[in-house]
Amino acid sequence: MKQSNVAISLILIGLAGFILLQSRNLAVGSLRAPQTAFFPTTLATLLLIFSVILLAQTLLKGEVRRGPDNVVAEGWIRIGATLATMVGFALALERLGFLLTTFLLMVLLLRAIESQRWHKVVAIALMTTLVSYAIFGWLLGIPLPGGVLGI
Amino acid sequence: MDFFSNVALGFSVALSPTNLLFCFLGALVGTLVGVLPGLGPVGAVAFLLSLTFKMEPATAVIMLAGIYYGAMYGGSTTSILVNIPGETASVVTCLDGYRMARQGRAGAALGISAFGSFIAGTFGVIGLMFLAPMLGRAALRFGPAEYFTLTLTGLTLVAYLTQGSMTKALIMTTLGLLAGSVGMDPISGEERFTYGNLTLRDGFGLVPVAMGLFGIAEVLENLTTLGSQSIYQTEIKGLLPNLKDWKDSGWPIARGSVIGFFLGILPGPGPVIASFVSYGMEKRMSRYPEKFGTGVIEGVAGPEAANNSATAGSFIPLLSLGIPTSAIMALFMGALMIHGIQPGPLFISKYPQLFWGFIASMYIGNAMLLVLNLPLIGIWVRLLKTPYAILFPLILLFCLIGVYSLNSNVVEIIIMLIFGIAGFFLRRLGFEGAPFILAMVLGPIMETSLRQTLLISRGSFSVFYTRPICATLLVVTAAFLIWPLFRRRRNQIGE
Repeated sequence: MKQSNVAISLILIGLAGFILLQSRNLAVGSLRAPQTAFFPTTLATLLLIFSVILLAQTLLKGEVRRGPDNVVAEGWIRIGATLATMVGFALALERLGFLLTTFLLMVLLLRAIESQRWHKVVAIALMTTLVSYAIFGWLLGIPLPGGVLGI
Repeated sequence: MDFFSNVALGFSVALSPTNLLFCFLGALVGTLVGVLPGLGPVGAVAFLLSLTFKMEPATAVIMLAGIYYGAMYGGSTTSILVNIPGETASVVTCLDGYRMARQGRAGAALGISAFGSFIAGTFGVIGLMFLAPMLGRAALRFGPAEYFTLTLTGLTLVAYLTQGSMTKALIMTTLGLLAGSVGMDPISGEERFTYGNLTLRDGFGLVPVAMGLFGIAEVLENLTTLGSQSIYQTEIKGLLPNLKDWKDSGWPIARGSVIGFFLGILPGPGPVIASFVSYGMEKRMSRYPEKFGTGVIEGVAGPEAANNSATAGSFIPLLSLGIPTSAIMALFMGALMIHGIQPGPLFISKYPQLFWGFIASMYIGNAMLLVLNLPLIGIWVRLLKTPYAILFPLILLFCLIGVYSLNSNVVEIIIMLIFGIAGFFLRRLGFEGAPFILAMVLGPIMETSLRQTLLISRGSFSVFYTRPICATLLVVTAAFLIWPLFRRRRNQIGE
């Protein structure tokens, strides 16, 4: 926890510095007439101060409250696979279309999180794809991308 | 007379077939969300927000409110039966509720929790009905300086009440305010931190950010400890509490209703705090405090009443001042603003149908939940057995489609995923999402009011301490900031 706190403090200090630098491209104005960069500059300064306080608290007192439970390797693989599948969904949605992408997403997620039997995976994926298409596409009238199937 | 005609107007809106249907759907989905782990009420409201765009504003708000108080009801069912709180406001219910279930008194615990929630929910709605218009009228005298200090106090109080490190909560608040400043400057219209991206021109969307922080992050967290939950098999019989149960629970319900309502008005996770305060109070006032935690009905009745009453109370600052006090209220504000409705002092007089319709729907919703919850408990328990491996893909799919359906924009899915990953890591490091989302919504209000105040006062800060409301609020803010330092010093001396 201590190492993570130091790391996050440093990242936040970097972020505050970055925002301060970026705000220089915009007009700050004055107290009498504050402009576009006035609020972000003030906030970035506050972020800098709070991050330094967190760093100091961690280094001086070693803030060691209960740390998070360690994630086992299997957990990281599940998280990685789930995220990769969702990014894939975002990238493929408009190219492949809603029906195909949703079906593939469900198949991959059902397999990634816990290996299920194939016939069960296909059945659940097919059902959720059709039900979600009915709800979002028909019932709510949201324009869903047709993609290669054209529907 | 005016009051009664307003109530009649409210019921005429709430009892229209469409609104009745969506009130029922909201309560049903809310109960489901409360029962099932993996998606809390904030995530659920964020997700369903996108579905409300095409609805009438009253229907949208009625359904979303149903989800909110439905989740409070549903959360207690799992606390009692399986010792798993469906959402944080039901954590306390586990202490005595689950013990009661183990002693074969699950029925009485569930029954008193449902009745207590109903009574307290009704009390909360009546309080909301009287207090919100009064506060709204008082707020008409507020200028930008008052609004700035009010948002400042609200955000500080939320940071103060957040569990864990206050420094971390203040960092999340500042990050939220910064996220809220992305996009067009609310006064000059100039673009900030958009880097030419069209999606960012309107700022970060509330729905992708909230769904990332509360939906995706929560699922990722659950994926780290995926395993089968063991469900305690218990026979549920006799849902109606007996006379002694009622006698023991009467005062706890009454006290819980009042405390919950007033704690709900304050910024922060009102229902959660209310349930803890009520439990503590019942234990202190009890003739047998040592029995708390072993299955005492007062330990279920008080907190359950308090968290439901707080739900109604938390609508007051939003509807009368236009200031959301929790993450979920921020989403309600988003829901209203999507329809071009600005909550605030003029809200009640400008949209009487919406306000009174919403109030009436909460009465009806609470009654529906009572009818819905008790006979359907068997179904909820069976639903709990849905394997996580099937539940999570479904939640993720609905998050993805929900965000995409907002503007048919893939970039918003990416924004949601980025906030989901950030939320997951930040939460593991003790940074909470609620101050962030609240600050993001309040950011533009805060910036506009600060800049307007400085323009009017010609750069002088004296306006903040010469106006009584501002000065009082600033003293309160300073107290919340300084108090943790004193507390720490006292603890050190104590050690």
